[in-house]
Amino acid sequence: MKLQHYLGGLENLGPVDFEKQVFVQEWEKRIFGIHTTMMAESAHLIDALPRYPMDTLPTAFKSDWTWASLRTGAEGMQPFEYFKFRYYEKWLGGISGFFVDQGYINGDELKSRADFYRQQPDAPLPDKPSAPIREQIVRYLLEGDSGLRPYAGTALFAEGDSVTVADPVAVDHTRLPGYLRCKSGKIVEVYPGAYAYFVNTGPDGIGEPMPVYRVVFDAADIWGEEKSEPNTMIYADLFEAYLVPPK
Amino acid sequence: MSQLFDYEKQREAESAAKVRALEALLIEKGVIGSDSVDTVLAHFETVAGPFNGAKIVARAWVDPEYKARLLADTPKAIAELNLAQGMDGAEGEHMLAVANSPEVHNLIICTLCSCYPWPILGLPPYWYKDPVFRARGVREPRAVLREFGVPVSDDTQVKVWDSSAQIRWFVVPERPAGSEHLSEAQLAELVTPESMMGVALIELPAA
Repeated sequence: MKLQHYLGGLENLGPVDFEKQVFVQEWEKRIFGIHTTMMAESAHLIDALPRYPMDTLPTAFKSDWTWASLRTGAEGMQPFEYFKFRYYEKWLGGISGFFVDQGYINGDELKSRADFYRQQPDAPLPDKPSAPIREQIVRYLLEGDSGLRPYAGTALFAEGDSVTVADPVAVDHTRLPGYLRCKSGKIVEVYPGAYAYFVNTGPDGIGEPMPVYRVVFDAADIWGEEKSEPNTMIYADLFEAYLVPPK
Repeated sequence: MSQLFDYEKQREAESAAKVRALEALLIEKGVIGSDSVDTVLAHFETVAGPFNGAKIVARAWVDPEYKARLLADTPKAIAELNLAQGMDGAEGEHMLAVANSPEVHNLIICTLCSCYPWPILGLPPYWYKDPVFRARGVREPRAVLREFGVPVSDDTQVKVWDSSAQIRWFVVPERPAGSEHLSEAQLAELVTPESMMGVALIELPAA
């Protein structure tokens, strides 16, 4: 099992944090903005819905960067490191690491520039606006990147079917909540069409377009009668690869 | 923030310097523009935000037929309202609404990360991203709701929606009693992002 995929259901954790702010530090806004810009500039958008003109966008960014990229970075961390860092610290670590690994910047210049800004926090950023990038960011935010795709196959399951959740190999990144593995539920909706995922997760099974199902679970069937609240249902949207095929 | 994240100023200052250095280098190398980050942030000030969700809920409260359409075909019903363009844009491509009632209380969660319906609620608050919420919300929703100040009895069914694929769920909270005299615009002012994820009830302003 991979701990980051099994958060759902952990016990004896104390009270929830009631912080209502989105960002608790000003710097967090900047890494959020960098991540979203990377998603708007991602090379894969040339094949997205809609098709964005990524081949003509004047940017030095030529990589794929999607939610899967960000999530894989966080979920791939050694679990005990994952819990040491606050939410946007994980983003900053993962994204700066990505840019160094992919050769866009080198570690030494990042460190020395960080030392500079540490000494002079109010020193300005370089002044190099880009109207085409700005327009692509706005367009991406307005039009999105849906995974809906044509599907030549037929859904394996129908509304009302009882299903068992699969138990695939644990890889770095998944969209299968760990607490649902091997549990039994019922299909309440077969979403029309099929959905691709941003990356192929290998033996975990998602990536190519496939049906997605809304599955309902009785909480008692997941946690046991004595350790679940009564009259509680849990709904999850699950890719077809995450359900044990019918015999 | 809980004490777990009461970091020394030093740690925050180092993160701030590192992200500023990163942004500077990316600008210099043409990876992003110097206006890119601000363009992103401006979108969440003016286009995508809880002000949109509030209008949807207020309309559902004053017009029961609209509420029925919202639950039956969420994107189509949202498009009926005079909201900004982009309501089915990033992280809103596939949004669905569920309604709270005396019989059913809905709670939205993303146990794997923090999937959230951006166009109508903006960006997720820290409590939604909190690993403790993500862990406990699916196991003991009523206990968590009690901590949020929302009592839900065992006779009310609780439905927890784990946003594990393409759908971005949100809640139409119950209209508060005693709000009959309020206009649609005044009703919209009462709606909070917390209420649209199921962790808050709507409060009337103090008399």
